[in-house]
Amino acid sequence: MAMETLEVVIDAMSRQGAGNVAVELMRADGAALPAFEAGAHVDVHLPGGLIRQYSIASPPADRSRYVLCVRREPASRGGSASVHERLRVGQALTISTPRNLFALRPGGHHVLVAGGIGITPLLAMGHQLLAAGSSFELHYYVRSRQEIAFLRQLQGELGERVHLHSAEEGRDARQVLPGALDGAGNDHQLYLCGPAAFMDHITAAAQARGWDAARIHSEAFAPVVPVPSADAAAQDAAFEVQLASSGQVYRVPADRTIAQVLGEAGVPLSLSCEMGICGACLTDVVEGMPDHRDSVQSETEKAGNRQITVCCSRSRSPRLTLAL
Amino acid sequence: MSAVPHPANPHSLLPPGSTFTTSDWQLLARQWHPVANASEITGAPSKATLLDEALVVYRVKGEVVVARDVCPHRGVPLSMGSHDEEGVVCPYHGLRFGAGGRCNRIPSSPNQAIPAKLSLATYPVVERYGLVWVCLAPDADSPAPLPVMPHWDDAGFQQINCPAFDINGFAGRQVEGFLDVAHFAWIHTDTFADPDNQLVPDYTTVETEHGFRADYISSVSNYSEGFRHLAPADFAWLRRFETHLPFTASLTIHFPGEQRLVILNCASPVSARKTRLFVPIARNFNLEQPVEEVHAFNLRIFEEDRAMVELQRPERLPLDMALEAHIPADRSSIAYRRGLKKMGFGEFFLV
Repeated sequence: MAMETLEVVIDAMSRQGAGNVAVELMRADGAALPAFEAGAHVDVHLPGGLIRQYSIASPPADRSRYVLCVRREPASRGGSASVHERLRVGQALTISTPRNLFALRPGGHHVLVAGGIGITPLLAMGHQLLAAGSSFELHYYVRSRQEIAFLRQLQGELGERVHLHSAEEGRDARQVLPGALDGAGNDHQLYLCGPAAFMDHITAAAQARGWDAARIHSEAFAPVVPVPSADAAAQDAAFEVQLASSGQVYRVPADRTIAQVLGEAGVPLSLSCEMGICGACLTDVVEGMPDHRDSVQSETEKAGNRQITVCCSRSRSPRLTLAL
Repeated sequence: MSAVPHPANPHSLLPPGSTFTTSDWQLLARQWHPVANASEITGAPSKATLLDEALVVYRVKGEVVVARDVCPHRGVPLSMGSHDEEGVVCPYHGLRFGAGGRCNRIPSSPNQAIPAKLSLATYPVVERYGLVWVCLAPDADSPAPLPVMPHWDDAGFQQINCPAFDINGFAGRQVEGFLDVAHFAWIHTDTFADPDNQLVPDYTTVETEHGFRADYISSVSNYSEGFRHLAPADFAWLRRFETHLPFTASLTIHFPGEQRLVILNCASPVSARKTRLFVPIARNFNLEQPVEEVHAFNLRIFEEDRAMVELQRPERLPLDMALEAHIPADRSSIAYRRGLKKMGFGEFFLV
């Protein structure tokens, strides 16, 4: 997918809790940036040629800047390290125009649940909902209070709607779930952003409490692993795959691949390496958000989300519809 | 691209007997391909074949001319002719062709003005890296660039051109063999590789403007047996591959210290089933070694590869990734096939 790019400069950088750095991007001449809806992200072309997607955390009403926030990941594949080590104030950067795969839906009440640096798109959502006078609450799970990003905003204008949960204080998501998951109305919407295992846990808890999958929206920020490892498999969640031709839906359990499930069901697939390196099984995505696990598509191709390697990739959305 | 029918094949754009499909031939004809080692091109007409097109190559007053190997008068191959200081002479009626392929002598009517029609069908030519490069059908809207060879012009580097090497196989298969890092321990054990060093450490490919780059780091020494002690124990050998699609790839081998060896693998597609390999080499060490030894050593490596490439089936390169099986060592080969597919190649790579 060819995406329009923008030239911006880094207007400010700030520490946002331990291990996080916020990067404020503006046009060099101060002109307004393209409008975006909360939940949007931009592709950032980092020094060294990497392209990484980061959600915009700032209020959509403020067209003067996009604020991103990046956590220093010890297991960084280069993007996080590059942001922390190589970016500086005043530097010019190329970014894509904002893209939104995680937009707010119409609803009577919005429950935003962030794990760690997953706060970034949800913070923008909080600002947008506040400006619109909509009903919402924001739950932010962190390992320790020191890691809270954007603390001043969270305590300030969003204040009374924000619930901070620190694992150090015994309030991780396994101990304390947002109360709003219980007895939710049919027009309530749930938005999740954080590590895959975190989102799986909240999703499962919400579904057990009667939440329909169509009202649970999530965006993963966890790095895509090149080849599925035992560790990654332990964090995988189940999802559904639908065939566009027949409408048939298959459940892909956490420990199985799309190819295994469809192969057993007799759906003809074109497989070769079965480890995401060759691209023989690339299949068009009709709907849903792939979780790319292959190392054959380029970063740009992955960001376009037009195709998925069914041998090893999974889904970020509860359902993935494929052109099969 | 012009859609002028081939003069010898009025119903097609392609040379008679072309082994390519029309669209693949057109894509390949837009690119530069080497047809000769420049040092071997003198006044005497020399014969070459590129994409099934028979060519005559000669040098007149320092300038290289490449043209269809057909006399515009009565169709005899000029490569069979003789030459003098002013050009090549057709063996049939003695017509002589000089700079720009223009006729400058009609022995049977020496006083007659020479018609424009008596000019050879010439092609754009560039001399670079010791090779004569030709483009059969330049695309005026987006002319193809020449491949880039690292270090060739750098101070301290010796320039070597290996003799052309013929392979009865498809250029794509040959290039893929050049990019392959898993075959060293199996095929090249008589020249540089250790049969016990079979493991291929993981590596990645990075897309570039004209292909891709792969930095391959391993413990496979590039010193031949008997000289391996020249590298420190546990030396990490970096081999940087840079492809220029479709059929050129450079390999820069980082020897200990600042020593570099660059090998440019230029697979010239004579036809879909024949390849003429040209290999310019640049190095900044071991300069006292006779060039003949470099030629001989590389010839042995080419022979080792040829034995495999000529036997591969299908002969052409399957661009449909599902047609062959792939292992992690194949990242370069996969990037190569994907790159060719993106350029629009199709049918002829499938067979």
